[in-house]
Amino acid sequence: MVIKLRRFSRSKITKFIAFTLAVLSLTAAMGYLIYLDNSDIKMETIFVKEYSKSETFLYRDLSRAIRDVSNHFINDTDSIYPEPKYLYYITDGVKIKHNESLADILEHKDYLYMYKNQQWEYGENTYKNVQSYVDDNYTLYLVFPEEYMMQMQSQWEEDRAWFLPYVVLMLVSAVLALLCIIFLIGVTGRSADDKEVHLNSYVDRIYSDIQLIAMLFTLYMWLSGLSDVLRSTYITNSRVLSMEHYYVLIMTGILTFAGSTICGVLFLSLVRKIKAKRLVKHSAIYACLSAISRFIRSFFDDSRFEHFPLTKSLNRRQVIFTVASAGMVFLSLFFLVVTRSFLVGLLPVFAEGAIIYWYFYENRKTFDEINLGFQESLQEQMKSERMKVDLITNVSHDLKTPLTSIISYVDLLSKEELPESARDYVNILADKSGRLKNIVSDLFDLAKSTSGNLPLDMENLDLRKLIEQTLGDMEDEIERSEIRIKTRLTETPVYIYSDGKKLYRVFQNIIGNALKYSLQGTRVFIEMDMDDKSVNVTVKNTASYDMDFTAEEVLQRFTRGDESRTTEGSGLGLSIAESFTWACGGRFKVEIDGDQFKVKLEWPVVQV
Amino acid sequence: MDTARILVADDDREIAGAIEKLLVREGYEVIKAFNGMEALDALVSNKVQLIILDIMMPKLDGLSTMMKIRDSMNIPIILLSAKSEDTDKILGLSMGADDYVTKPFNPQELIARVRSQLRRYLLLGDKDSVSSATKLVVGGLCLDAEKAELTVDGEPVKLTAKEFKILEFLMRNAGCVFSAEQIYERVWQETAYSVENTVMVHIRRIREKIEINPKEPKYLKVVWGIGYKIEKI
Repeated sequence: MVIKLRRFSRSKITKFIAFTLAVLSLTAAMGYLIYLDNSDIKMETIFVKEYSKSETFLYRDLSRAIRDVSNHFINDTDSIYPEPKYLYYITDGVKIKHNESLADILEHKDYLYMYKNQQWEYGENTYKNVQSYVDDNYTLYLVFPEEYMMQMQSQWEEDRAWFLPYVVLMLVSAVLALLCIIFLIGVTGRSADDKEVHLNSYVDRIYSDIQLIAMLFTLYMWLSGLSDVLRSTYITNSRVLSMEHYYVLIMTGILTFAGSTICGVLFLSLVRKIKAKRLVKHSAIYACLSAISRFIRSFFDDSRFEHFPLTKSLNRRQVIFTVASAGMVFLSLFFLVVTRSFLVGLLPVFAEGAIIYWYFYENRKTFDEINLGFQESLQEQMKSERMKVDLITNVSHDLKTPLTSIISYVDLLSKEELPESARDYVNILADKSGRLKNIVSDLFDLAKSTSGNLPLDMENLDLRKLIEQTLGDMEDEIERSEIRIKTRLTETPVYIYSDGKKLYRVFQNIIGNALKYSLQGTRVFIEMDMDDKSVNVTVKNTASYDMDFTAEEVLQRFTRGDESRTTEGSGLGLSIAESFTWACGGRFKVEIDGDQFKVKLEWPVVQV
Repeated sequence: MDTARILVADDDREIAGAIEKLLVREGYEVIKAFNGMEALDALVSNKVQLIILDIMMPKLDGLSTMMKIRDSMNIPIILLSAKSEDTDKILGLSMGADDYVTKPFNPQELIARVRSQLRRYLLLGDKDSVSSATKLVVGGLCLDAEKAELTVDGEPVKLTAKEFKILEFLMRNAGCVFSAEQIYERVWQETAYSVENTVMVHIRRIREKIEINPKEPKYLKVVWGIGYKIEKI
């Protein structure tokens, strides 16, 4: 149940509805407020039940009556407003004016207002600025007729009855809006599935201080827009809606709707950030400050020189030099300004000279050390390189010498008179020693090539021609294999910068491989494609056996299809082709797609 | 042909022995030496028609020995080495060797090379000078354009008309590289179109006839991706 509720309350639809509801109720509350504010009824009706105690009465009836009477008393005018017919008695101790005898006036205690000895005796909480109308030495009695007051009271109550429902509606809207907002504050950023706070909407990517400014700006625009609308429109207060009313209400609605939507979105985003504790971190100011601090720290950071003590000390020294120099410049200016003496200002300059001397002197020492180390490592590298070449040469020699004996004596043996079985053995020996010779030779080619010691004879050559030559050279082999080769070469020569002899070896190995391992009756495809920058050659064939290895393994292991391991060849053909291709400035790739075996070669084209 | 005497110098006694037996079986007389100094000593006391010299030998290595021999003698020298790089071969040949055989070698190939060198040295030694204007000579190749004859180290070789023309053209311009198109247009007298394969196959056939080891040709070479040439020797 709880989970269900949570799932419901945190679903996107619920949030969207709550948001819309909040905006609409806020707009409605605002509309009611404006409408009521511009109606002919005073808000006071709600709070004050009796008309006689209302401010409306004080301002509209009482103060007017006081003003009227004092005016009448000072200027001896007869103009007393006919309605309402209040009774008055006014005197300054000498002169008296009244429309009823004092005794009669004092009988009407209900609505009597009396000013005497500089204070109000009845209704003292009323008109505070009475002094500006009545002199201190006046004595004033005012009585409002009961009939009039009753009439006003009933009108007051009638207004109240009309007014109250609207107020209730307004309050309900406002409360609803508030509830929705509180709900949204609670659920925003939460999802039904976890307890994390999610920041993912587009709005959340805006820096929070910019959001805040945007929100305040929107708020300002909204409120000032409202007051503009209200001020620029002349409205007679009435409960009946006029054109002006409609205009004001519609404008208020639009402004409130738009303003509260924008403010709401931004506000909720800020709330999410507060919840995720990212409010400060995700602000433009923080980002700027941290970028600056990173920038400054990067000067002092020498972690990248961790394993290089010499460059580390160089870096340190550089930082010290820069900071100290900057300090000296500052000091120099400071002394000049404070002491106004050129000589004192010159002092840091001498210090700077010392710093420069120290900097260069120490750096030169470090540079020497670095050079020494560099030279040592270079020599070390050359030495190991030489050792590698020597190793290959020596091992090669040590393998080839006994092999030479073996082959020679096997040959001699084969010419001897031998029994039948011995002749078979000798044939096997001859065969295997021949194969061993091939393997040794291939192995050293590969070793030289992979160790980067392959001597190259690079020149510009036509790759298309090279392929054709290779095919011509291998014609016998191709015919014997009964596998046809289908070529699609470029129309024009394609020049690349490479070693022709090594490339011949590459193609010989690849094509030989394709012939050897192709299914009978299938064809080998050699295709050549060229663009502005490079030329691609693809050799494709259909394997005659199950290729249960990956493209990488073909080149890595001493691989040949297991069943064909025993036949002639060293099994290094493809590896040599790969290594030679890379050594000759090309790219080499093997792809296996079902039974399709593909070798892809690529070289940069030379423009001739 | 008298039995030729051959000096075999190799520090590996078994190899020297094997070469000796191979050559003796072919009817040659053999003197063995196990280092450069011994080889030089042997030359003083014996008249030798050919030397097989291992490069890596103690006391005096093959190349130095060869240089010493070349000071006074012009007999053919075949270098024998486990070093198989082109650069090693070129170095050896440029220092005066007549041939270069890498270990491990094919015994039959070694014998063929020995025979070829001896034939040239013994039979052609003087004939070279009387070559007429119609004769083209490159190393052991001798092509008589008029008689349409080719001899390799004195042995006549039969070529087809096209093969002969190709070889003649290349020998006339020994050392120059020609593309398949150029060769085709000269030999076939037709416009060349897609002829690489045709020419290459002919080249290969010629190579099989004139080279001891067609896989490592001495005369007729393919310049991969460019063309073909006869090495100028």
